[in-house]
Amino acid sequence: MASDVENAPSPSWVQTVLIGRNPKRTAVRIVILVAMCLLVFNRFVLVPIRVEGLSMMPTYHDHRINFVNRVVYHFHKPQRGDVVAIRTSGISIMYMKRVIGLPGETVAFQGGRALIDGEILNEPYIKCRCDWELPPRQLGPDEYFLVGDNRSMPASDHTMGVASMARIVGKVLL
Amino acid sequence: MRRWVWRVLLAVGFLAIGVWVWTLVFPSPERVIRKRLTELAKAATVSGNESQLAALLNSQKVAGFFTGDIEINLDVPGNSQQVLNGRDELAQQAMVLRSAVGSMRVEFYDIIVTVAPDKSTAEANLTLVARPAGRDKIVLELKFRLNKAEGEWRIYRLETVKTLSLL
Repeated sequence: MASDVENAPSPSWVQTVLIGRNPKRTAVRIVILVAMCLLVFNRFVLVPIRVEGLSMMPTYHDHRINFVNRVVYHFHKPQRGDVVAIRTSGISIMYMKRVIGLPGETVAFQGGRALIDGEILNEPYIKCRCDWELPPRQLGPDEYFLVGDNRSMPASDHTMGVASMARIVGKVLL
Repeated sequence: MRRWVWRVLLAVGFLAIGVWVWTLVFPSPERVIRKRLTELAKAATVSGNESQLAALLNSQKVAGFFTGDIEINLDVPGNSQQVLNGRDELAQQAMVLRSAVGSMRVEFYDIIVTVAPDKSTAEANLTLVARPAGRDKIVLELKFRLNKAEGEWRIYRLETVKTLSLL
């Protein structure tokens, strides 16, 4: 056996660097590494989601595929206008909403317009105006007001409201 | 490979099989509750063309997961708040619902179970997704409170958790 090894042509250094001394083992290592990276990436970095429902129309249509960036809010807090994913009891089912109110602000709806601290919020993403009315509500130090872009539906059918930072999973990527 | 490595691998394998068999024979309360809630979702699912007798039996089956003095407080978006007291009222309402919806698939996601230190009460949080035929799906975050009586976990309180609160 020893003589076989000695007689076999030694792989070039380029081949050794690129695919290692044993290509089969290298391939197995690569497959395992890719699978682990995908697993970690899909769970903790970019979570794939499928949009269901009409509450974010016309910005996001039903059945569209998207991703939630779970890392971004480790570096800064959610900003007004961000579209975020909100967890329920876990992340299998999440709500997708837009942040309109930030901690400490007072949010209200008057004649269908969102008011932040008494001033009308400019919302260029709204295509259909509504007649929603909501009394002023001051947000706590860790609370955000979240609402969908589809204001053509009755307020009673539209899931909106206040969520703490712990509920926000991440920012919707696309 | 050296013989001792094989021995260690074999021992680890036997240990893993032993642990797996142990968890099958003596499941943890969390596992039992999770299984029971999954069975509840299955029982609550309404298949199409369900006869009156089948609807009645299935409603009774659903009610069997709850204690006699069950308190239910549900806040379904777009509907008024539903308050039910007692297993009989629950069975009646389940029967009415089954007759009304035609067919409906019920699924529970992300079941998180917390068992109290006394091991006789527990709390389970989950997300219910109901898909009635021809209507929008309903998503509700629910909190179940369970107790163990006569060797069975039964639900004694059920309420909606507000994922997004307006109050």
